[in-house]
Amino acid sequence: MKSRLNAAQAIEALHTLQPEINACVTIIDEPELPKGDALQGALANIPVVLKDNVSTKGIRTTASSRILDNYIPVYDAHITKKLKDAGAIIIAKTSMDELGMGGTNRNAYTGPVHNPWDTDRIPGGSSGGSAAVMACGIVPLAIGTDTGDSIRKPAAYCGVVGVKPTYGRISRYGIIPYASSLDTVGYFTQNIADAAAALGVLAGRDDHDMTSSQKEVPDYAANLNPDLKGKKVAVFKTLYDKLTHPEMKAAFDRLIEQLKEAGAIVSEVAMPEELMELIPPVYKTIANAEATANHSNLDGIRFGMREPGESVEEVMTNSRTAGFSSYVRARFVIGSYSLFEENQDRLFRKAQKIRRLLSDAYAKLFEDADVVIAPANFTIAPRIDETSEVRFGNDRFEDEHMQLANFTGYPSLTMPLGLADGMPFGLNVNAKPFEEQTLFDVSAGMEALIGWKGEPEVCQTIR
Amino acid sequence: MEKFSAEYFRKLANDLKFDLSDEEIEDLKRDFAEVEKQVDLFDAIDTAGVEPMVYPFEAETIFLREDAEADTLPQNDALKNAADVRMGHVHVPKVVK
Repeated sequence: MKSRLNAAQAIEALHTLQPEINACVTIIDEPELPKGDALQGALANIPVVLKDNVSTKGIRTTASSRILDNYIPVYDAHITKKLKDAGAIIIAKTSMDELGMGGTNRNAYTGPVHNPWDTDRIPGGSSGGSAAVMACGIVPLAIGTDTGDSIRKPAAYCGVVGVKPTYGRISRYGIIPYASSLDTVGYFTQNIADAAAALGVLAGRDDHDMTSSQKEVPDYAANLNPDLKGKKVAVFKTLYDKLTHPEMKAAFDRLIEQLKEAGAIVSEVAMPEELMELIPPVYKTIANAEATANHSNLDGIRFGMREPGESVEEVMTNSRTAGFSSYVRARFVIGSYSLFEENQDRLFRKAQKIRRLLSDAYAKLFEDADVVIAPANFTIAPRIDETSEVRFGNDRFEDEHMQLANFTGYPSLTMPLGLADGMPFGLNVNAKPFEEQTLFDVSAGMEALIGWKGEPEVCQTIR
Repeated sequence: MEKFSAEYFRKLANDLKFDLSDEEIEDLKRDFAEVEKQVDLFDAIDTAGVEPMVYPFEAETIFLREDAEADTLPQNDALKNAADVRMGHVHVPKVVK
């Protein structure tokens, strides 16, 4: 992996762009530099940015929430340590939707992040700050987390590669959680080769995270093979049929033709629409419920912003009222409701059962396919003033389909496919669990066919 | 208490240790109309005999570690982020007055 800018230049670029895109919560002007063996590491002297829910010892970590505005971790997340050991220089903590709960990056304590392609539009969320930094190529690696497409949708909106590996492939230790059964650490890169290299650094068993996998980590970068001949590529037809934007459809059709010409075996797979319709409500039920439980420790007592009160309970209530946005408090109420004894069976447990049905149906798509491809987004990034943060109800399944990879834990990425109305749109590529090598191989082959070379105008000021 | 009344939401919020404004409660009433609609959608799916899916994979990743001290946090680190620390403890308002 190579960086176009050194750490000092990248820090300067972040400062230059901050008034335009507001991507960072903290820019680290005097970062920790690699020493000893780290100088020979795979990421020696490479500047990287981390989403602000990744714990960094001695560096403020807020998860873009007021309640953590003064929180300075006393330990590093597993991946922070891995990055440092590999020689990376951490130069910023990037903005996100508060505690990961959102898809617009509009609900951040430091204000909305702007899409570098059109600063009136959202970058997507919740990892919007990292996506916006990557869109300008300031760093070759930006860390994000993905609970329900929080890396892949922003990547599609911003014209970069976004990877959500298999659940358990990267340790979650030291990540401020959202929904533990769905949360996955991932990242943004400029290209697939860097994506393969990054996973080699970040993946691996960590005893601090009991859901992290004991499977060996292959050398994805060294093994990268973009040859598409004989590769089985299945088109997710239920989603393809929803593609109405002419430029997006033309680009997708062109790719299918190119895949066939390159020797890939292209087929179609589908899932019943009635089942697909259940993706958004099942996601919201499970994610809100798990979030409510996870964030019960944010009370202003042992850490975080504390508001005064006459009793411990009053301190907690005042701290949590002032500490969480209205939007997040509403989601906690919804999450808590589905966990009430009288509602658990008909809401939370029912959602978990339907999750299994959805996962079984999704697994079937891969029975005769190496990868399953679909459009990543069906509309371009919405304007900030037109975005609605719907807390419950009426989501279209095609806009939320990438949550299937969170339900199942399967690896999934998005990569740029083209421009529509001057804004990027993406291709979603999915593989079987722990088959990231196949995911990267086929994606590298398609990357060469697509030939994406986009850069937002606003980023040219940092040249 | 009437379900989905203002009082109902206020009680729910207070159990979660935060307050809601009148406006926030009105927004929640609209949300809960959608939550209840979704129950109908869930009810239409037959999940008889289906086990709830709690995590993506059921592979065993846990182990029994040696009964030895590991990963302890020094007292000063543990207290570093508390807003009120006195005599080596996190200080809170008196419980028994």
